[in-house]
Amino acid sequence: MLSKLQRHLSKVFLKIFLRDRQSIFFSLFFPIIFMSVFGFLNNGDSEPVSLGLVNNSDSGVAADFVNLLMEDPLFTVTAGAEADLRQQLIAGDQMAVLVLPADFNEPGAAPRAGTQLRLLTDAAQFRQLGLIQPVLEQKLIAIERQFRGVETMFSLAIEDVQARSQRYLDFLLPGLLAFTLMQLSIAGSGFNVVEFRRKGILKRLFVTPIQPRDFVTAIVVARLGIVLLQLSLLLAYALFVLNVNIVGNFVEFYLVVIFASLVFLNLGFCVGSIAKTQQAVMAIGNIVIFPQIFLSGVFYPIEAMPALVQPIAQLLPLSFVVSGLRDIAVDGAALAGIVPSLLGMAIWFVLGFVLATRMFVWKDVAI
Amino acid sequence: MATIIKAIDLVKRYPLPEDKSRTFAAVDGVSFEIFEREIYGILGPNGAGKTTTLEMLEGLNDIDGGSAFVDGIDVAKDPFSVKQIIGVQLQASEYFDKLNLIELLDLFGALYRRDIDAMALLASVDLAEKAKARPDNLSGGQKQRFSIACALVNKPKVLFLDEPTTGLDPQAKRNLWDLVRELNGVGMTIVLTTHNMEEAEFLCGRIAIMDHGKIVAEDTPQSLILKHAPDPPEAPLHGNIEDVFLALTGHALRD
Repeated sequence: MLSKLQRHLSKVFLKIFLRDRQSIFFSLFFPIIFMSVFGFLNNGDSEPVSLGLVNNSDSGVAADFVNLLMEDPLFTVTAGAEADLRQQLIAGDQMAVLVLPADFNEPGAAPRAGTQLRLLTDAAQFRQLGLIQPVLEQKLIAIERQFRGVETMFSLAIEDVQARSQRYLDFLLPGLLAFTLMQLSIAGSGFNVVEFRRKGILKRLFVTPIQPRDFVTAIVVARLGIVLLQLSLLLAYALFVLNVNIVGNFVEFYLVVIFASLVFLNLGFCVGSIAKTQQAVMAIGNIVIFPQIFLSGVFYPIEAMPALVQPIAQLLPLSFVVSGLRDIAVDGAALAGIVPSLLGMAIWFVLGFVLATRMFVWKDVAI
Repeated sequence: MATIIKAIDLVKRYPLPEDKSRTFAAVDGVSFEIFEREIYGILGPNGAGKTTTLEMLEGLNDIDGGSAFVDGIDVAKDPFSVKQIIGVQLQASEYFDKLNLIELLDLFGALYRRDIDAMALLASVDLAEKAKARPDNLSGGQKQRFSIACALVNKPKVLFLDEPTTGLDPQAKRNLWDLVRELNGVGMTIVLTTHNMEEAEFLCGRIAIMDHGKIVAEDTPQSLILKHAPDPPEAPLHGNIEDVFLALTGHALRD
């Protein structure tokens, strides 16, 4: 597959890249921090809602209701006087304050219909209200049933057919991995090439009978080795320290990672060929990298974006990689199940390689 | 004497820095012949077009007009074959700084698809003890000698040296001259550019003097001196303008 010269050159570049240990490990710093933040802080459970409770009634029913709410893991209940809790609500310490009226079922009396409970909220927290309201109503209905002695007719048991726990981190990992892969690859080929050109190394190589094809291939192969080393470390950290789940076949997942790295190494070469200076390569690199972070479904699915943007977003190289990796990691798809993603990556790969070898300029030594 | 390099009316145009739509000729119709086994010097001030001329012969720079042949091969048509038989030392080149000298020479050998004895090559330029050093840690003279070693990996017929001694101290300069003569002694044709007159006179069999993209004179150093050097002055001047002033206006005090 590789000629003798290409193998030799690849080994030389591997040696060069491996001797730059600092950058190998420093470039992993950001993704590891990022994953850890999501891994440790957002452990799947949502934060309980802080709820203030003013009990103006001294009935047993009211006390029972208060107890029920307090036991609910969904709420952190603070009981107190209405004036104090109002202040806390304004200060943002409480999400809402529930006021039980004095006539919340008078002692001894039978449950009465139509008692009104007031819920004080802050308009700034309005969005949360949508979450609290149904839960509160559910609680009230449950209590009412208890009092009236009504049996529950329907109940909802949620059963996960894929029998796995899905945290946001599980969703995030393929995206984050794809994003890191893109960054490492584009920087690894593009930035290197510009550096070689700036130093006059490319010009010196061009005096020998070297072919652009051999040079590009060797750098891509060597850099692939380095990127895979970095991604493996990252993946090991995610799997063994953060216990991230990969549902599908790990080998297939890794094959997609390798293929994706090749795609971005080629695209990085194009960036390095267009850019003549170190500043230019940074700028062009950012133009390629940044929109894809937001448009390619790294942090949230592409379907959540405006309909107008979606068709364009879906054609970005990173989108194909993210969706391919996510289908395997989250939905357990096989390679045969992600053919559209693989096809998209293949097109970008060919496009990248053709452009990289065509546009590659040896002579201009930007100083 | 057999011709090994032939340049016929070479032209290289660049866009003017102040007006990109117009061009100027950095090399403006340069013709010369270089014979096998000679040391040929291209002499001239900065910006005369020396480096550009070399780069066109080496296949590094596109030829805009005229033609160049190295060992009978048309450089514009087949730069790949020309590159196989020439060795080039560029004016300023850096190397992959993560490799040592031996590894770099092996890399260059591989680019010519040759197995080389890197250690022997380093010894031939007196750098054997620096085999494991990185190029960044070499002195100026060592760096130039290493550049020449890199240019020798393919046992070239012609060796191009672009200002090889610029910036070197006198010892390093002498040392490099010896190396160049040694290489020429075993039959290598050497083409070098310089703006050091002493170097041109000491090393070169023939010299072309370039200015503003044209060759203004070409001959052996001795003939050039005979033809163009001004006659020695009749008698050395002595005294100064004050003497003249005093002689013309007298010594007497004036108030």
